[in-house]
Amino acid sequence: MTAETLSALTLSLRVAVLATLANAVVGIPLAYVLARHRFRGRALVDLLVTLPLVLPPTVTGYYLIVLLGRRGWLGAPLYAATGWSIAFTWYAAVVAATIMALPLLVRTARAAIDSVDRDLEKAAHTLGRSEWRTALEVTLPLARNGILAGLVLAFARALGEFGATLMLAGNIPGRTATVPLAIYTAVQTGEEQAALILVALLTALSCVVLVVADRLGARAA
Amino acid sequence: MSARLEVRLVKRLPDFTLDVAWTADGGVAALFGPSGAGKTLTLQCMAGLLRPDAGHIVVDGRVLFDAAAGMDVPPQARRVGYVFQGYALFPHLTVADNVGFGLRGRPQPARARRVAEVIERLGLAGLERRYPRELSGGQRQRVALGRALAIDPALLLLDEPLSALDAPLRQTLRNELRGVLGEWGTAAVVVTHDFTEAYRLGDRIVVYDGGRVVQSAPRAELLWQPASESVARIMGIPNVLHGTVVKATPDRIQLRWRGQSLEAVNSPTRSYLPPPGAPIAFFIRPEYVRLIRKDRVVADPRHHMNLMRGEVVLDEDFGTTWTLRIRLDEPGPPAQGAWDLEVEVPHLVYEILDIERDRRWEFSIHRGSIHVLPA
Repeated sequence: MTAETLSALTLSLRVAVLATLANAVVGIPLAYVLARHRFRGRALVDLLVTLPLVLPPTVTGYYLIVLLGRRGWLGAPLYAATGWSIAFTWYAAVVAATIMALPLLVRTARAAIDSVDRDLEKAAHTLGRSEWRTALEVTLPLARNGILAGLVLAFARALGEFGATLMLAGNIPGRTATVPLAIYTAVQTGEEQAALILVALLTALSCVVLVVADRLGARAA
Repeated sequence: MSARLEVRLVKRLPDFTLDVAWTADGGVAALFGPSGAGKTLTLQCMAGLLRPDAGHIVVDGRVLFDAAAGMDVPPQARRVGYVFQGYALFPHLTVADNVGFGLRGRPQPARARRVAEVIERLGLAGLERRYPRELSGGQRQRVALGRALAIDPALLLLDEPLSALDAPLRQTLRNELRGVLGEWGTAAVVVTHDFTEAYRLGDRIVVYDGGRVVQSAPRAELLWQPASESVARIMGIPNVLHGTVVKATPDRIQLRWRGQSLEAVNSPTRSYLPPPGAPIAFFIRPEYVRLIRKDRVVADPRHHMNLMRGEVVLDEDFGTTWTLRIRLDEPGPPAQGAWDLEVEVPHLVYEILDIERDRRWEFSIHRGSIHVLPA
């Protein structure tokens, strides 16, 4: 295994783990709020979160550049203030993977939370629990398997992200070239063996992920 | 003494309006009525799970909700135990943890003592470490009761507590539930659409229909004096009939129905005195109609009150009783489709009188068994 292959692999794992953590922090509360609350702008939030699932990844990547790029809505003031831009760093790969994976977690977790009997929450309220404590002690533990399945899917999606990552983070070997990007480069440059190793690794990982998600899903049902 | 429980609620929903007021003096109040009458909505408002648009809820002098005063105690602070339809036990917690769920604020030893005490009193000993899915229907009911009673509630609310069970168990658990409610002495409100259940469990029955209370009375009074024809129909009373008033006095009402002249007892407490010629609704309990034996000659036929003649056109076996549908020997359409009266006789009577073959009968109804329904 070459140094480049190895660095692509460690980078991919790091990006996928961090993106999954970010998903847990943002996605689980988001799924809970979408499942249990009616508020103004709920449909819009739902739409924005889900959009990356159906848009071509390059389009999502384009929006991320518009938002975070050196001349982006958020990126420009940041660059002006610090001289630093997230574009073409490995953090950009984490951001791209997080946004692309979020709809998978939010939709799966939301379905799991939706299926928790509301009478259980009402019972907890009459027994002295605030909404916050009820979520922690009743709703989320009962939706646990669905949430875990969503996290596993999010991890898989983050691991395989290509289009949006290419747009925002570029394809810099050793810095932002994750496994899917490295495979593309390897095929383009005729390094068949490197491509084959990475393809086999990614396929095996995806199989494991699917089996795990499936088991969790079956236990949730 | 003022009522222990005072409920006045208005709640407007897109396609339904709840507008009720009733009171109860401790014991068990049964909210009875068809599905969709607003009974569960009332319970949810009482528990604070739903905010009424107007009204007030007072339990033992403690105001839980008062729209006018802007008072709304959150469900967490109401100290109201709620037994949900289907029980809503926490499936991820053991029996002991379910029962102790509402005791979180207490120090651990006190909590453990209380859980043990409740489990003991409800006959759940030995099941502490089981999960709800490992329990029978009856055990689940007791855990749900225990969880609600453990917090020592000022009021216990039960939503269709027996509907999740099958018939034989239902009857046993109805009696068991009545025992627990009596023994713990907590003021309780039970929601049910089954009149037998309401009668067995409730000291007072509050009849709901279409988001309103149509009658609220001690159970015996409701049974014998439904306030109106609609209450009688909701209670499922057979033989609700329509006649014409001939003469009404404070203790008797003469009326005409299907060519018969009937005499009924008026209720002096109600002093219902409709004018002659007025339409009047009344009901005859099927088990109080007497078939007259043909093998015994009565000296004076006037001995029998409200004497009628007719033919059994249909009979149905209900195991311990037979229900006969009788068509009177009168011209004109029968009062209830193909027959005029429903009559219930025990199996023994059915056999002795050989009703299976002998279909023509004379029968009489005591005036005390014809109940007039105020319009």
